[in-house]
Amino acid sequence: RRDSSRNENKKHLVLLRDGRTLIGFLRSIDQFANLVLHQTVERIHVGKKYGDIPRGIFVVRGENVVLLGEIDLEKESDTPLQQVSIEEILEEQRVEQQTRLEAEKLKVQALKDREKEVQTEEVRGSQS
Amino acid sequence: MFRYESLEDCPLDEDEDAFQGLGEEDEEIDQFNDDTFGSGAVDDDWQEAHERLAELEEKLPAAVNEQTGNGERDEMDLLGDHEENLAERLSKMVIENELEDPAIMTAVQTRPVLQPQPGSLNSSIWDGSEVLRRIRGPLLAQEMPAVSVLEYALPQRTPQAPEDDRDLSERALPRRSTSPVIGSPPVRAVPIGTPPKQMAVPSFNQQILCPKPVHVRPPMPPRYPAPYGERMSPNQLCSVPLQPGRMSPSQFARVPGFVGSPLAAAMNPKLLQGRVGQMLPPAPGFRAFFSAPPPATPPPPQQHPPGPGPHLQNLRSQAPMFRPDTTHLHPQHRRLLHQRQQQNRNQHRNLNGAGDRGSHRSSHHDHLRKDPYANLMLQREKDWVSKIQMMQLQSTDPYLDDFYYQNYFEKLEKLSAAEEVQGDGPKKERTKLITPQVAKLEHTYKPVQFEGSLGKLTVSSVNNPRKMIDAVVTSRSEDDETKEKQVRDKRRKTLVIIEKTYSLLLDVEDYERRYLLSLEEERPALMEERKHKICSMYDNLRGKLPGQERPSDDHFVQIMCIRKGKRMVARILPFLSTEQAADILMTTARSLPFLIKKDAQDEVLPCLLSPFSLLVYHLPSVTVTSLLQQLMNLPQSAAAPAPSNPHLTAVLQNKFGLSLLLVVLSRGEDLQSSDPAAESTQNNQWTEVMFTATQELLRIPQAALAKPLSIPTNLVSLFSRYVDRQKLNLLETKLQLVQGIR
Repeated sequence: RRDSSRNENKKHLVLLRDGRTLIGFLRSIDQFANLVLHQTVERIHVGKKYGDIPRGIFVVRGENVVLLGEIDLEKESDTPLQQVSIEEILEEQRVEQQTRLEAEKLKVQALKDREKEVQTEEVRGSQS
Repeated sequence: MFRYESLEDCPLDEDEDAFQGLGEEDEEIDQFNDDTFGSGAVDDDWQEAHERLAELEEKLPAAVNEQTGNGERDEMDLLGDHEENLAERLSKMVIENELEDPAIMTAVQTRPVLQPQPGSLNSSIWDGSEVLRRIRGPLLAQEMPAVSVLEYALPQRTPQAPEDDRDLSERALPRRSTSPVIGSPPVRAVPIGTPPKQMAVPSFNQQILCPKPVHVRPPMPPRYPAPYGERMSPNQLCSVPLQPGRMSPSQFARVPGFVGSPLAAAMNPKLLQGRVGQMLPPAPGFRAFFSAPPPATPPPPQQHPPGPGPHLQNLRSQAPMFRPDTTHLHPQHRRLLHQRQQQNRNQHRNLNGAGDRGSHRSSHHDHLRKDPYANLMLQREKDWVSKIQMMQLQSTDPYLDDFYYQNYFEKLEKLSAAEEVQGDGPKKERTKLITPQVAKLEHTYKPVQFEGSLGKLTVSSVNNPRKMIDAVVTSRSEDDETKEKQVRDKRRKTLVIIEKTYSLLLDVEDYERRYLLSLEEERPALMEERKHKICSMYDNLRGKLPGQERPSDDHFVQIMCIRKGKRMVARILPFLSTEQAADILMTTARSLPFLIKKDAQDEVLPCLLSPFSLLVYHLPSVTVTSLLQQLMNLPQSAAAPAPSNPHLTAVLQNKFGLSLLLVVLSRGEDLQSSDPAAESTQNNQWTEVMFTATQELLRIPQAALAKPLSIPTNLVSLFSRYVDRQKLNLLETKLQLVQGIR
């Protein structure tokens, strides 16, 4: 619970509710956690790779912010992650998305089956 | 014609001669205009400008005289306005109407356009950025302006009068909604997007775009005896009128040195006189934007009701000296924060010591210094936001408001306490968390009212919500439901019951804490409440319907089919009386195979083992016997054992079932061994059951057995009573009763 307002003009990392990760200079913040980010970069992570897309200035409505943290500029480069080009990371992301969707489909199917099973059981149960 | 009272003396329609020399007007014009025209504001420039214009007058007597019909214009010309763009306006006017007349055209063209003079204070906002640049002062807060912001001499008397007909307040920004507690963020005269360079002040707030004769006086310490020392920091201002220790950004927001709100001055001519920094006493409801009660003022005379506008403040804006209050943090938390800060500082120091790193960091600092967008947020604004964040930490009941935070730090403390016990001795003082006892002020919300209006606005806000939708609950008729729907409804009802019972459970679990915090008198009532809630919980679980001697098992079984229900029962059990709990246990035992089947996916039943075990060790012999019977589904009479015992098989194949069984057996053994002189009937019953039990156990193939959660130690002695050595060995191996076999 440190005062986030003390961290102006240091690089910040913001995680949004839709899963995006933004990195930029926090220029302004208010009590709703509305943010103004300057020289923002959207960082996409897939596995051990990441790619940065420069985005410019962001004004983020506070309700969409999940968390916000200061980046230690000295430690920033000290990461096992590997930076790749934008095209590459987008491709990786697409692939990951696909596998996830397929897994999701299987899960949904399994749940549906279970639901049916429960219902039939209960029908039988209430009948007995 | 709209007129300010201040300018009543200078009517447009009257005698031209009245405007011959403004000097004549001094007596008739009231003090407000004194500021505008008098010595307070513009000094010599005024007179010089006037002279210049007077010269102009002389230059075109002919042109003007020809237009006597246009009285307004005449008056304008003769006004001796020291405003330089009056000339522009004049020329515009003239051009529009007198396009044909060559004489006038030439006259107009030759009229020197008054350039905004660099040193002049007569800048109007339409002069362009060059002039505006110099108008800094109060607008870029934290600076002491020596310049008056705006000055309009007599715009009212200009032909722009029709525009001016509108109320000044229309031009102003709509008043920002103020929360009665928090206030509003400090208003910036310069919009936040402005780069911090001193150069351009690109756009003004509308508040400043006021065409009215507003003269904002710069803070003039020598002139007006400030009611309080100028050096008084906002901190001091805050602290005095309020409860000590209670900080709210509202005072903070209202305190900043806001000088030069032209709007304010417009509203309150008298305000400018002596009441520099007229303060409103804190009103519970709507607060004027800028007001803050000064601690040492003589009681502010309420001669002139402040009106809806903000007030002029003459506070020296200083960077507030206080840091946001960290007392609300748990002491452990604060310690951690300080530690981290220390580490950071140490790191920096270390790095600075090192060669390369040092230079790297200095370049980093350079970069920061050169960053033109740095510090777009003023320190004041940052602190204001921090204040709000800290305010959110204030609470009268931290356990209620911030349960996880409290628990987390309590756990940490316990850990460190445990370590200390092992260590040398307490090194750190173990501070107890002393939460600030903030009295919760009752804020009765008063809806916004405008003065002079009839009735109230129907406004819905966070504090005053309005019902938007009328949602009516319609219960469906039982007839048209399909079987599936009924099933679904039943499940939903069960879920609802679980939720209600869970709420009761959470309350009951909390009573211990409340008991400690409560007063002596309240305690019996608390106990009653608690008892009552426990009874309700039990009733909910068993689903007792009126008129039923014994509730059917069905209700309970339904609850137990749902994962949350099982967990809940496990938590409720410790609170129930032994009889109630035993009843629950028996019901479970009866329906165990069914429950086991239902639990196949959740696998939550084992959570019940612990509370059940605890219970079993308190049960009397009779109950234990019947329990065992239930569990193994043993026939009451040993007459005809069934060829197969699916009930028992199911139980044994399940981890929970087997564990429970073993626990029951163990308890039986305890009872037997502890009290050999027990009643014979009970004894006999037990013995019978045991015989049957062992038979069944011997029958079951080992492969079918589950792995129990725990194996009580006294089972060997138990079985040894009832079976011979051979079978005992068999049982031992089968149930893995002997440690070594594993």
